[in-house]
Amino acid sequence: MLNSTIVSTRIRLARNIDGMPFPHKIGKLPAKQISDKVELSLSPIDRFMRYDMDSVSQLDGTILQEKHLISPDLLTECPYGSVFISADECVSVMVNEEDHIREQVILRGLSLDQAYDRVNKIDDLISKNIKFAFSPRFGYLTACATNLGTGMRASVMMFLPALTIQKRIDSCINDVGRLNMTVRGVYGEGSSADGYLYQISNQRSLGINERDILDSVKSAINFILDSELRARQLLKQNENELKDKIYRAWGVARNAYKLSTAEAMQLLAMISLGDYYGYIRINDHEGFQRLITHCQPANMQRLSGRNLSVEERDVFRARYVATELKNVSNRIN
Amino acid sequence: MKCTKCGMREATTEVLRRFNNHIEKMYLCGNCAKEYGSKAGLNEFDILEKMIAGSPMGLLSNFADMFNSVAAKPTVCPECKTTSDEFLKTGYVGCPECYKVFEPLVAETVKKLQQSDRHVGKTPVGAANTTTEESRLRLELQAAIDAGNFAKAGELSQRLDMLVGRKKGD
Repeated sequence: MLNSTIVSTRIRLARNIDGMPFPHKIGKLPAKQISDKVELSLSPIDRFMRYDMDSVSQLDGTILQEKHLISPDLLTECPYGSVFISADECVSVMVNEEDHIREQVILRGLSLDQAYDRVNKIDDLISKNIKFAFSPRFGYLTACATNLGTGMRASVMMFLPALTIQKRIDSCINDVGRLNMTVRGVYGEGSSADGYLYQISNQRSLGINERDILDSVKSAINFILDSELRARQLLKQNENELKDKIYRAWGVARNAYKLSTAEAMQLLAMISLGDYYGYIRINDHEGFQRLITHCQPANMQRLSGRNLSVEERDVFRARYVATELKNVSNRIN
Repeated sequence: MKCTKCGMREATTEVLRRFNNHIEKMYLCGNCAKEYGSKAGLNEFDILEKMIAGSPMGLLSNFADMFNSVAAKPTVCPECKTTSDEFLKTGYVGCPECYKVFEPLVAETVKKLQQSDRHVGKTPVGAANTTTEESRLRLELQAAIDAGNFAKAGELSQRLDMLVGRKKGD
C-alpha cells in the first residue's frame, strides 16, 4: 500500500569547508580544488561518477536533473559546480552549489532511517579528510542561515492524486505547515498535470537533532498518508465515474499517437491509482517508476538516440509508453 | 538612533573618540562614517582594524578613535567583506567567519525562523567540541542495547570509537 503513495525518500546534508568563502564568493580555481578534494574523500567509499557543470552536455545535465540527482540550480547557476554519483544512483554529492558540499541519499519508498544512516556514514568519512565549518552554537555553518544547525533536509516524495482531485491538498498543506513542514509540487506547481507528486520536507534544522527531524517528518507523512487514503475511499463512492476515468487513461496511454510530458504524467498517475484500486495490475513497480522518469523530455531524447523536435519526441513518447506499459502492467477486467 | 553628525540617517557605527582621559561617543550613519574614514584615505574597515590594534592614526591631533557597530559589531566581515545589511536582505553570508562577525544578528534572525539559536545535533568527527556528540551517542547506544537492536548498537559504538579515538589523537 505504501508503494502506491510514497514514492521515494531523500536526505540531504549541507556542509562547508572551514576557513573558505562560500561558493557564491569563490572563483573557478578554488572551486575546482574543492571538487578534487571531495573526489579524493569519496574514493574509499564507492565508485562515483563525476560530472563537472562546465563540461557536462546540456542533455546529460538535464537527465541528471530529471532523475533528481542534481538540483536545477547546480545546472544553470553554478558554472563551477560538480556532482559525484554512485553506481546505484542512490548517492549524489553536489559540490559548489549553494554550499561547498551537499551530500544526499535517495531511496525508494519510505526509508528515512536507512537513508539517514547511509548519508551519515558518507558524512563521517568525508569529514575525516575535510574539516567542516562548524560552530558549537549554530552547528554546521551554511551559506544560507535557514540551513544552519544540522544542515539536514529530509524529504519524502508522495503520490497524492485523491487529495488533489478532491481539492483538499491545500488544506492538507496548511495542516502540515503547522508541523513545520514544507510541501511543494515535484514537477511544476502542484497542478494536476504534474503527476500528483509532492515533496514533503522539514523546515527546521536548528535546535532539533537529526533523529527528531526524522521523527517529525514521519509524523507528517503518516498524517498525509491517512488523509490520502481517506480521500481515496471517498473517490470510490462514485465507482463508475472512477473506473471510467482510469480505464480511459489506460486506453489513451496504450493507443495515443502523440503524448506530451504533462499528459503522459497524468495518464500514468491514473494508471497507478488504478493499480491501487485493483482495476489494473502493475507487475513491476520499479519498471513503472522508471517509465515515469523516462517520460521526462531529456530522458526521452536520450532513449531515442537522436535529436528530436518537440513533436517528434511526443510521437516517440507515445510509442514508448504503450510498449513499456505492456511489459509492466495489465488490465484486470 | 539618528546619526550624530548629519542628524538625518540611521546610525550604524559607533565611534569612540578619546581626548586626554575623556571618552566621547559618536553614532554615525554609513555615509558619515565613510566620509570620516576617507579623510585619512582609508576605508571603514581599515580604520576599524588599525584603531583596535592601537596604531596612531593622526586623523585629528591628540585623538585616537575606535569603531564599533551599534547593531552588530562590526558591520563588515573582515574575511569576505559581506555586510550585515546584505545578510539581512538575503539571508546569505559569505564565509564561515561571517557567523562570528554577525553572531548577535544571526542569532536573533534564526531564532525567529527556526524557534531556536542553539545547535543540538551531530558534531563533526574531529571538531573541538565533541563532548555533546559523545554523550548523545552514548545515550543512543544505551537505548539501542536496551531495545535489543544490536545492529544499531554496533554502528553506534563504531561511531563512538571514531569520535573518541579522534579526540585522544588531537
